[in-house]
Amino acid sequence: MIKLLFFGRLGDSAATAPELFEASEGLTPSAVRYALAIEHPRLVEALLEPQVLVSIDRVIADWNQPLTDGCELAFLPPVTGG
Amino acid sequence: MRLNGRQFARYSRHLLMDDIGVDGQHRLFNSHVLVVGMGGLGCPVTLYLAAAGIGRLSICDADIVAESNLHRQILYRDADCGRLKVDCARRALKDVNPDLMVDTHAEPVSAEILSGDYQLVLDCSDNLAARSLLNHHCRARRLPLISASATGWEGQLMAFDFERQQSPCFNCSIDPSSPEGRADCDTQGVVGPVLGVIGSQQATMAMAMLLGYGHPHGQLQRYDGKAGQWMNFKLQANPNCDLCAPFRRC
Ligand SMILES: [Zn+2]
Repeated sequence: MIKLLFFGRLGDSAATAPELFEASEGLTPSAVRYALAIEHPRLVEALLEPQVLVSIDRVIADWNQPLTDGCELAFLPPVTGG
Repeated sequence: MRLNGRQFARYSRHLLMDDIGVDGQHRLFNSHVLVVGMGGLGCPVTLYLAAAGIGRLSICDADIVAESNLHRQILYRDADCGRLKVDCARRALKDVNPDLMVDTHAEPVSAEILSGDYQLVLDCSDNLAARSLLNHHCRARRLPLISASATGWEGQLMAFDFERQQSPCFNCSIDPSSPEGRADCDTQGVVGPVLGVIGSQQATMAMAMLLGYGHPHGQLQRYDGKAGQWMNFKLQANPNCDLCAPFRRC
Protein backbone atom coordinates (compact mmCIF):
# COMPACT_ATOMS: atom_id res chain seq x y z
CA MET A 1 0.00 0.00 0.00
CA ILE A 2 1.00 3.60 -0.54
CA LYS A 3 0.42 6.12 2.25
CA LEU A 4 -1.15 9.36 1.03
CA LEU A 5 -0.48 12.70 2.72
CA PHE A 6 -2.18 15.97 1.75
CA PHE A 7 -0.28 18.90 3.29
CA GLY A 8 -1.78 22.21 4.46
CA ARG A 9 -4.93 23.46 2.74
CA LEU A 10 -5.01 20.36 0.50
CA GLY A 11 -6.03 18.54 3.67
CA ASP A 12 -9.26 20.60 3.73
CA SER A 13 -10.18 19.28 0.27
CA ALA A 14 -9.01 15.76 1.16
CA ALA A 15 -11.17 15.18 4.26
CA THR A 16 -12.89 12.17 2.65
CA ALA A 17 -9.93 10.97 0.56
CA PRO A 18 -8.32 7.61 1.39
CA GLU A 19 -5.19 7.52 3.55
CA LEU A 20 -3.92 4.45 1.71
CA PHE A 21 -3.78 3.59 -1.98
CA GLU A 22 -3.29 0.12 -3.53
CA ALA A 23 0.24 -0.21 -4.98
CA SER A 24 0.57 -1.54 -8.52
CA GLU A 25 3.23 -1.98 -11.21
CA GLY A 26 4.24 1.32 -12.84
CA LEU A 27 2.04 3.48 -10.57
CA THR A 28 3.05 7.18 -10.52
CA PRO A 29 1.87 10.26 -8.53
CA SER A 30 0.17 11.43 -11.71
CA ALA A 31 -1.78 8.15 -11.98
CA VAL A 32 -2.85 8.38 -8.32
CA ARG A 33 -4.18 11.89 -8.96
CA TYR A 34 -6.29 10.65 -11.89
CA ALA A 35 -7.54 7.65 -9.96
CA LEU A 36 -8.83 9.99 -7.22
CA ALA A 37 -10.75 12.12 -9.74
CA ILE A 38 -13.97 10.10 -9.86
CA GLU A 39 -14.76 10.11 -6.15
CA HIS A 40 -12.95 13.32 -5.12
CA PRO A 41 -13.41 15.92 -7.87
CA ARG A 42 -12.76 18.92 -5.58
CA LEU A 43 -9.49 17.45 -4.35
CA VAL A 44 -8.30 16.63 -7.86
CA GLU A 45 -9.13 20.16 -8.99
CA ALA A 46 -6.81 21.43 -6.21
CA LEU A 47 -4.13 18.88 -7.23
CA LEU A 48 -4.29 20.08 -10.84
CA GLU A 49 -3.43 23.67 -9.87
CA PRO A 50 -0.07 24.82 -11.27
CA GLN A 51 2.99 24.41 -9.00
CA VAL A 52 1.61 21.62 -6.78
CA LEU A 53 4.65 19.60 -5.60
CA VAL A 54 4.83 15.89 -4.84
CA SER A 55 7.26 14.10 -2.57
CA ILE A 56 8.04 10.40 -2.27
CA ASP A 57 9.32 9.46 1.18
CA ARG A 58 9.94 13.19 1.87
CA VAL A 59 12.05 13.74 -1.27
CA ILE A 60 10.57 16.18 -3.81
CA ALA A 61 9.85 14.07 -6.89
CA ASP A 62 8.55 14.15 -10.44
CA TRP A 63 4.86 13.46 -11.17
CA ASN A 64 5.97 10.54 -13.37
CA GLN A 65 8.38 8.91 -10.94
CA PRO A 66 7.37 5.30 -10.17
CA LEU A 67 6.00 4.57 -6.68
CA THR A 68 7.11 1.55 -4.68
CA ASP A 69 4.96 -0.49 -2.30
CA GLY A 70 5.15 0.91 1.25
CA CYS A 71 6.23 4.43 0.27
CA GLU A 72 4.66 7.69 1.39
CA LEU A 73 3.32 10.01 -1.31
CA ALA A 74 2.77 13.62 -0.18
CA PHE A 75 1.08 16.43 -2.11
CA LEU A 76 2.11 20.04 -1.28
CA PRO A 77 -0.04 22.96 -2.44
CA PRO A 78 1.76 25.97 -3.92
CA VAL A 79 2.83 28.81 -1.61
CA THR A 80 3.97 31.81 -3.61
CA GLY A 81 3.09 35.01 -1.72
CA GLY A 82 5.38 37.08 0.41
CA MET B 1 35.01 47.45 11.92
CA ARG B 2 35.67 46.71 15.61
CA LEU B 3 33.17 46.72 18.49
CA ASN B 4 33.11 49.84 20.67
CA GLY B 5 32.04 49.94 24.35
CA ARG B 6 28.39 50.70 23.61
CA GLN B 7 28.23 47.84 21.11
CA PHE B 8 29.70 45.40 23.66
CA ALA B 9 26.63 46.11 25.80
CA ARG B 10 24.23 46.05 22.89
CA TYR B 11 25.33 42.65 21.56
CA SER B 12 26.24 41.11 24.94
CA ARG B 13 23.76 38.23 24.53
CA HIS B 14 25.50 37.25 21.28
CA LEU B 15 28.93 37.74 22.81
CA LEU B 16 28.03 35.33 25.63
CA MET B 17 27.52 32.53 23.13
CA ASP B 18 30.54 30.37 22.34
CA ASP B 19 29.47 29.95 18.74
CA ILE B 20 28.97 33.68 18.09
CA GLY B 21 31.22 35.70 20.42
CA VAL B 22 33.28 38.72 19.32
CA ASP B 23 34.47 37.03 16.12
CA GLY B 24 30.94 36.12 15.10
CA GLN B 25 29.64 39.60 15.85
CA HIS B 26 32.40 41.04 13.65
CA ARG B 27 31.37 38.66 10.92
CA LEU B 28 27.79 39.92 11.14
CA PHE B 29 29.01 43.56 11.10
CA ASN B 30 30.98 42.89 7.94
CA SER B 31 28.06 41.22 6.16
CA HIS B 32 26.08 42.71 3.31
CA VAL B 33 22.71 41.06 2.62
CA LEU B 34 20.30 41.75 -0.24
CA VAL B 35 16.61 41.47 0.70
CA VAL B 36 14.25 41.36 -2.29
CA GLY B 37 10.66 42.23 -1.35
CA MET B 38 9.79 44.41 1.66
CA GLY B 39 6.33 42.95 2.28
CA GLY B 40 5.14 40.50 4.92
CA LEU B 41 8.41 38.51 4.91
CA GLY B 42 10.88 41.34 4.28
CA CYS B 43 9.60 43.25 7.34
CA PRO B 44 10.35 40.65 10.06
CA VAL B 45 13.51 39.46 8.28
CA THR B 46 15.08 42.94 8.15
CA LEU B 47 13.91 43.84 11.68
CA TYR B 48 15.73 40.82 13.11
CA LEU B 49 18.84 41.26 10.96
CA ALA B 50 19.03 44.99 11.80
CA ALA B 51 18.70 44.29 15.52
CA ALA B 52 21.28 41.49 15.29
CA GLY B 53 23.97 43.86 14.03
CA ILE B 54 24.24 42.94 10.34
CA GLY B 55 26.43 45.69 8.88
CA ARG B 56 24.67 46.48 5.65
CA LEU B 57 21.28 45.68 4.12
CA SER B 58 20.24 46.40 0.56
CA ILE B 59 16.45 46.40 0.31
CA CYS B 60 14.52 46.24 -2.92
CA ASP B 61 10.80 46.91 -3.48
CA ALA B 62 8.98 49.17 -5.95
CA ASP B 63 5.70 49.36 -3.99
CA ILE B 64 4.17 52.01 -1.79
CA VAL B 65 2.59 51.16 1.58
CA ALA B 66 -1.13 50.40 1.25
CA GLU B 67 -3.70 50.15 4.03
CA SER B 68 -4.26 46.47 3.18
CA ASN B 69 -0.56 45.79 3.98
CA LEU B 70 -0.74 46.93 7.59
CA HIS B 71 -2.19 43.76 9.16
CA ARG B 72 1.03 41.90 8.37
CA GLN B 73 3.83 44.25 7.25
CA ILE B 74 4.95 45.16 10.73
CA LEU B 75 7.58 47.79 9.85
CA TYR B 76 4.95 50.23 8.57
CA ARG B 77 2.68 52.61 10.48
CA ASP B 78 -0.70 54.04 9.56
CA ALA B 79 0.89 57.36 8.54
CA ASP B 80 3.19 55.52 6.08
CA CYS B 81 0.33 54.78 3.66
CA GLY B 82 1.14 56.20 0.22
CA ARG B 83 4.90 56.34 0.86
CA LEU B 84 7.57 54.11 -0.67
CA LYS B 85 8.09 50.94 1.36
CA VAL B 86 11.88 51.10 1.09
CA ASP B 87 11.95 54.68 2.48
CA CYS B 88 9.67 53.82 5.42
CA ALA B 89 11.63 50.63 6.07
CA ARG B 90 15.00 52.42 6.05
CA ARG B 91 13.76 54.94 8.63
CA ALA B 92 12.28 52.23 10.87
CA LEU B 93 15.37 50.00 10.63
CA LYS B 94 17.73 52.90 11.38
CA ASP B 95 15.57 53.65 14.45
CA VAL B 96 16.14 50.08 15.61
CA ASN B 97 19.89 50.20 14.96
CA PRO B 98 21.66 53.45 13.96
CA ASP B 99 24.84 51.50 13.10
CA LEU B 100 23.09 49.74 10.22
CA MET B 101 23.79 50.87 6.64
CA VAL B 102 20.71 50.61 4.40
CA ASP B 103 20.77 50.89 0.60
CA THR B 104 17.35 51.26 -1.01
CA HIS B 105 16.16 50.23 -4.46
CA ALA B 106 12.63 51.44 -5.21
CA GLU B 107 12.34 49.32 -8.36
CA PRO B 108 11.78 45.69 -9.33
CA VAL B 109 14.84 43.49 -8.83
CA SER B 110 17.14 43.47 -11.85
CA ALA B 111 20.45 42.01 -13.00
CA GLU B 112 22.08 45.35 -12.12
CA ILE B 113 20.89 45.22 -8.49
CA LEU B 114 22.00 41.59 -8.29
CA SER B 115 25.52 42.50 -9.42
CA GLY B 116 26.25 44.05 -5.96
CA ASP B 117 28.75 42.69 -3.47
CA TYR B 118 26.57 40.49 -1.19
CA GLN B 119 27.35 37.52 1.05
CA LEU B 120 23.75 36.32 0.90
CA VAL B 121 20.49 36.98 -0.95
CA LEU B 122 17.09 36.63 0.72
CA ASP B 123 14.11 36.10 -1.54
CA CYS B 124 11.09 37.67 0.18
CA SER B 125 9.33 38.42 -3.11
CA ASP B 126 5.74 37.67 -4.02
CA ASN B 127 5.97 36.41 -7.59
CA LEU B 128 7.50 33.60 -9.58
CA ALA B 129 9.28 35.87 -12.09
CA ALA B 130 11.33 37.56 -9.34
CA ARG B 131 12.05 34.20 -7.64
CA SER B 132 13.22 32.77 -10.92
CA LEU B 133 15.48 35.76 -11.69
CA LEU B 134 17.04 35.56 -8.21
CA ASN B 135 17.65 31.84 -8.58
CA HIS B 136 19.23 32.31 -11.99
CA HIS B 137 21.66 35.03 -10.87
CA CYS B 138 22.55 33.48 -7.53
CA ARG B 139 23.16 30.12 -9.26
CA ALA B 140 25.41 31.74 -11.87
CA ARG B 141 27.35 33.85 -9.32
CA ARG B 142 27.47 31.09 -6.66
CA LEU B 143 25.75 33.31 -4.09
CA PRO B 144 23.84 31.57 -1.27
CA LEU B 145 20.07 32.09 -1.56
CA ILE B 146 17.24 31.56 0.92
CA SER B 147 13.87 31.66 -0.78
CA ALA B 148 10.72 32.02 1.35
CA SER B 149 7.00 32.38 0.69
CA ALA B 150 3.65 32.28 2.49
CA THR B 151 -0.03 32.02 1.62
CA GLY B 152 -3.05 31.60 3.90
CA TRP B 153 -1.91 29.60 6.95
CA GLU B 154 1.08 28.10 5.17
CA GLY B 155 4.72 28.96 4.60
CA GLN B 156 7.71 27.53 2.79
CA LEU B 157 11.51 27.95 2.89
CA MET B 158 14.21 26.72 0.53
CA ALA B 159 17.94 27.23 1.19
CA PHE B 160 20.50 26.85 -1.59
CA ASP B 161 24.25 26.90 -1.09
CA PHE B 162 25.38 27.64 -4.63
CA GLU B 163 29.03 27.58 -3.57
CA ARG B 164 28.49 23.84 -3.80
CA GLN B 165 28.41 22.86 -7.44
CA GLN B 166 26.09 19.91 -6.87
CA SER B 167 23.44 22.02 -5.13
CA PRO B 168 19.92 21.76 -6.53
CA CYS B 169 18.25 25.06 -7.48
CA PHE B 170 14.73 26.50 -7.39
CA ASN B 171 14.30 25.69 -11.07
CA CYS B 172 15.09 21.99 -10.42
CA SER B 173 11.72 21.52 -8.67
CA ILE B 174 9.56 24.42 -9.80
CA ASP B 175 9.10 25.11 -13.49
CA PRO B 176 9.12 28.92 -13.88
CA SER B 177 7.49 28.66 -17.32
CA SER B 178 4.32 27.04 -15.95
CA PRO B 179 1.47 29.36 -14.89
CA GLU B 180 1.82 31.25 -11.62
CA GLY B 181 -1.18 29.68 -9.89
CA ARG B 182 -3.71 31.46 -7.73
CA ALA B 183 -1.98 31.18 -4.39
CA ASP B 184 -0.68 34.65 -3.54
CA CYS B 185 -1.42 36.96 -0.62
CA ASP B 186 -3.54 39.38 -2.66
CA THR B 187 -5.89 36.77 -4.09
CA GLN B 188 -5.98 34.16 -1.29
CA GLY B 189 -5.15 36.22 1.79
CA VAL B 190 -2.57 35.43 4.44
CA VAL B 191 -2.38 35.25 8.25
CA GLY B 192 0.04 37.94 9.51
CA PRO B 193 1.93 35.91 12.12
CA VAL B 194 2.54 33.08 9.61
CA LEU B 195 4.79 35.59 7.80
CA GLY B 196 6.43 36.29 11.16
CA VAL B 197 7.16 32.58 11.67
CA ILE B 198 8.57 32.12 8.18
CA GLY B 199 10.44 35.45 8.22
CA SER B 200 11.98 34.63 11.62
CA GLN B 201 13.09 31.23 10.35
CA GLN B 202 14.57 32.89 7.25
CA ALA B 203 16.47 35.39 9.46
CA THR B 204 17.71 32.54 11.70
CA MET B 205 18.96 30.58 8.69
CA ALA B 206 20.59 33.78 7.34
CA MET B 207 22.51 34.33 10.59
CA ALA B 208 23.61 30.69 10.71
CA MET B 209 24.83 30.91 7.12
CA LEU B 210 26.65 34.24 7.67
CA LEU B 211 28.33 32.82 10.77
CA GLY B 212 29.53 29.84 8.77
CA TYR B 213 27.22 27.21 10.23
CA GLY B 214 25.66 24.80 7.81
CA HIS B 215 21.94 24.93 7.87
CA PRO B 216 20.66 22.04 5.80
CA HIS B 217 20.89 23.05 2.16
CA GLY B 218 18.82 21.65 -0.65
CA GLN B 219 15.99 21.31 1.85
CA LEU B 220 12.40 22.44 1.58
CA GLN B 221 10.77 23.31 4.91
CA ARG B 222 6.98 23.56 5.04
CA TYR B 223 4.89 25.07 7.81
CA ASP B 224 1.14 24.69 8.33
CA GLY B 225 0.09 27.27 10.94
CA LYS B 226 -3.46 25.92 11.28
CA ALA B 227 -2.21 22.43 12.16
CA GLY B 228 0.87 23.77 14.02
CA GLN B 229 3.04 21.47 11.93
CA TRP B 230 6.50 21.65 10.30
CA MET B 231 7.64 19.13 7.71
CA ASN B 232 11.01 18.86 5.94
CA PHE B 233 11.57 17.59 2.42
CA LYS B 234 14.77 16.98 0.47
CA LEU B 235 15.28 18.81 -2.84
CA GLN B 236 17.10 16.90 -5.53
CA ALA B 237 19.20 18.26 -8.37
CA ASN B 238 17.16 17.67 -11.52
CA PRO B 239 19.31 16.20 -14.32
CA ASN B 240 17.12 18.05 -16.85
CA CYS B 241 17.58 21.49 -15.23
CA ASP B 242 19.28 23.72 -17.80
CA LEU B 243 20.45 26.20 -15.11
CA CYS B 244 22.34 23.51 -13.21
CA ALA B 245 23.73 21.70 -16.27
CA PRO B 246 26.88 23.90 -16.71
CA PHE B 247 27.84 23.32 -13.05
CA ARG B 248 27.51 19.54 -13.22
CA ARG B 249 30.06 19.43 -16.03
CA CYS B 250 32.69 21.23 -13.90
ZN1 LIG C 1 18.57 23.51 -11.11
